[in-house]
Amino acid sequence: MKRRDFLRLGGAGCVSTMLSGLGLLSWSARSHAELIQRTFYITEGFIDQIDGTSIYFRGFSSSSDSLDVPGEALVVQAGDTVEITLVNTLSSSHSFVIDGVVDSGSIAPGQTRTVRFSVEKPGTYMYYDALDAPHNRLLGLHGGMAVMPAGSDNELYPGSPTFVQQYFWIFHDIDPAWHDRLSRGLTPNTEYVPRFFTINGLGARPPGAPGNGDPATDAMHDPRTALHGKVGDRTLVRILNAGMCSQSVHTHGNHMEWLTQNGEVRADVWKKDCLYLDGNKGALDVIYPFETPPDAWPPTDVGEYPMHLHSEMSQTAAGGYYMFGALTDIFFE
Amino acid sequence: MSDRRTSVNAMRRGGGFGGGSTSGGGSGGMSGGGSGGGMGGGCYIYDENQQANPRLVSADVSFDRGIYMNGSMTMDDGNSVRIWGFTEGGGGMGMGGSFPSPAIRVNQGQIVHTNLSVPMCCAHTIHHHGIEPDKYSDGVGHITWDVSSRTYTYQWKASHAGTYFYHCHTNTVLHAEMGMYGALIIDPPEGMGTLFSGGPVYDQEVIWAVDEIDSYWHTLDWTAGTCGADVGLNDLNPDYFIITGVDGAQSALNAPGIAATLNVGEKLLARYICAGYHPQRLDFGGLTGTIHMSDGRALPRPVQVKGLRAHSAERYDIIFEPTQPGEYIISADILHWVTGEVLGTARTRITVL
Ligand SMILES: [Cu+2]
Ligand SMILES: [Cu+2]
Repeated sequence: MKRRDFLRLGGAGCVSTMLSGLGLLSWSARSHAELIQRTFYITEGFIDQIDGTSIYFRGFSSSSDSLDVPGEALVVQAGDTVEITLVNTLSSSHSFVIDGVVDSGSIAPGQTRTVRFSVEKPGTYMYYDALDAPHNRLLGLHGGMAVMPAGSDNELYPGSPTFVQQYFWIFHDIDPAWHDRLSRGLTPNTEYVPRFFTINGLGARPPGAPGNGDPATDAMHDPRTALHGKVGDRTLVRILNAGMCSQSVHTHGNHMEWLTQNGEVRADVWKKDCLYLDGNKGALDVIYPFETPPDAWPPTDVGEYPMHLHSEMSQTAAGGYYMFGALTDIFFE
Repeated sequence: MSDRRTSVNAMRRGGGFGGGSTSGGGSGGMSGGGSGGGMGGGCYIYDENQQANPRLVSADVSFDRGIYMNGSMTMDDGNSVRIWGFTEGGGGMGMGGSFPSPAIRVNQGQIVHTNLSVPMCCAHTIHHHGIEPDKYSDGVGHITWDVSSRTYTYQWKASHAGTYFYHCHTNTVLHAEMGMYGALIIDPPEGMGTLFSGGPVYDQEVIWAVDEIDSYWHTLDWTAGTCGADVGLNDLNPDYFIITGVDGAQSALNAPGIAATLNVGEKLLARYICAGYHPQRLDFGGLTGTIHMSDGRALPRPVQVKGLRAHSAERYDIIFEPTQPGEYIISADILHWVTGEVLGTARTRITVL
C-alpha cells in the first residue's frame, strides 16, 4: 500500500503516458511476423472522483510509478509473438489472462513473470487478471488487445468491411464499496451497485465543469476515445466491457455497422443506432462510417454528436451528475 | 478539436456543486462554484443565449409540442405515478397529457419541423432517436442547447422509413424515465401498410414500447442530481412494467393499439421499442415472427424468431402471420442490468381467429 500517497490521480484519470501520441490506434501492416515486447507493472493507487471521493484501483501499468486503468491498448498482427513481462509490485497475487490465448497463472507478490504467446485469430481481445474473478478485473486490471489480420491495415478480419482508423472503447462500472473492501483484503459483502461509469478510464466533464476539455480528465476530449473524422473516414471501434453492467451503446450522427458480438462474426452486417453490450467481458466490433448524417437538412458534413450509453444510469456519477458518466463525442470535421 | 470549451453557450446555472466535497484530494475534487439562482438550481443546463436554429428552411410538415410535468398514470394496483411528457400543440402545463406523448408520423422524404415550446419552469429538448440530423436539430444540450422559456424548431429530413421514437435529452436519465417520449414513425412512399419501400406489407400494426418505472424516481424534481446531489440515478429499481403507457400487469393484455385481434392469413406488424433502461427479453408465446427491420434499417436478410432480446432504445419491427387460431401471450421480461434477474414482466396478447 506504499503507493497510496503518490499514486493519487486527479479526475477519474489515468496517467499522461497513455495520452501521448495519436489518439487513435496507429498501425502499419507488415509482411512478416515480429516479436512484440511489453513490461506491465501491476500497481495500485487511488483515483479521485467528481464528488470528491477517492477510489482504490489496480492496473497493468507502464511503469512502477503509474496506474493505468485500462492498461495500454496493444495492437499486434496475426502470427506475431507477444512477450509480456509482468512485475507484481503488490502484496497480493495476480495474473494475466486472455481467454483462449494465454494464462500466466498466479504471480506471487513481488514476483516477475514473462509470458509468451502468439495469436492467430484476428479480432478484439481483453486481457485481464482472472484471479478472484471478477474482483481484480473490476479493480482495474484489464485492457484491450487488437489482433490485425497479417499484412492488412484496414480489416477487422480477412475480407471484413474496411476502415481507415480504429479506436478502443473500454467501458467500466465501479462500486466504491466493493473497491474499498477489496483494498483491505476483504470480500465484498454488499449487492453490486455501481456509482461511477467510465470509457477508457474516464467519465465525461460537460461544458462548465472542472476539467472540461482536458484530454486527461474529460472522456469527451480524450483523443483515445472521442472520434474525429471527415466524411468517408470509416472508423473501427473495438468495444469491450470490463464492468458488470450490460449496456446499450448508442451513437448519434450515424448508425453503426455491426460486425461482431462477443468475438463471433455476425452472419449479416446490420446497421444499428443502439447495440446490446453484455456485461462481464462483453465485446462488440462496429464501424462508425462517418457518412453524411442522413437526415440533416440542408445536407452538411460537419458537426458534433454524442456517443452515449442509453442504459442511462451509466450517464451519471455518484448518484447524480448527469453527463459525467460513460459518454464521448464524435466530431465530423 | 472542439471549440466548445470557449463557447459562449457553455455555462452552468444555479448554485454550483452541492456534492459536499470533503476530500480536497487532487484536481478532481469539487469546489463550490457557479452563480446562484435560476432554473430551480439546475446545473449544466445550456440555454443561456436562446439561440434560434440557424439552418431553417420551409418544412413539408410541422408538429407542435409543449410539455407537461403534472401527468399521472394509474396502475392496475390502483396506485398512480407522476408522469411528464410532451403535449399535442404548443401549450403546456395544463391538465397533463397523453402517455406516451403523441406520435410523430411522417412520410419518407418529407422535411419536418418539430416546434418545441417550453415554459419558464424548466428546460427540455426533443431528440428524435435514430434520426440523424445536423447538430442544431439533434436536441443534445451540451452540444447545442436546451430549450426553456421559448419555442425552438428542430428540422430534419425523413430519409429512412421505419420505427423510431423521440424523447427529451435534458437530464435524460430522469426525463426519459419520467415518460418524456413518444413514437416516431416514417412511412415509405407506398404509405401505411408497407414497412419500407419494396419491403413487406401488413394489415394491422401495434406499438410495443416496453418500459419500466421506478416510483421513487418519479418523485424527483427536473434538475435532480444535476448539481451533484446523490439522488440515486445510478440505481433503477423498477416496480411497474408497462407497454406503451399501459400497465403490463393486466391492462395491456386487452389495450387497443397494443393487444391485437386478427384472422388467420392477416399480417400484424409489431413496432417494438425498448423504452426502458434495463435489458429486455421478449417471448412471443408460441408465435413465430419475422424481424424485417431494426433501428430504422432493413435487415439484409429477415430473421424468423420466437422471441428476442434487446437493450435500451433498440427497435425491432416484427411481422406475425399466424397460421393457427388461438390466444398468444406476448411477454417482456425486464432483466436487471447486472444480475440478469427478472425484475418484472409486462404482457400483452395476440388473438388469432
Ligand atoms: Cu435516445
Ligand atoms: Cu440520444
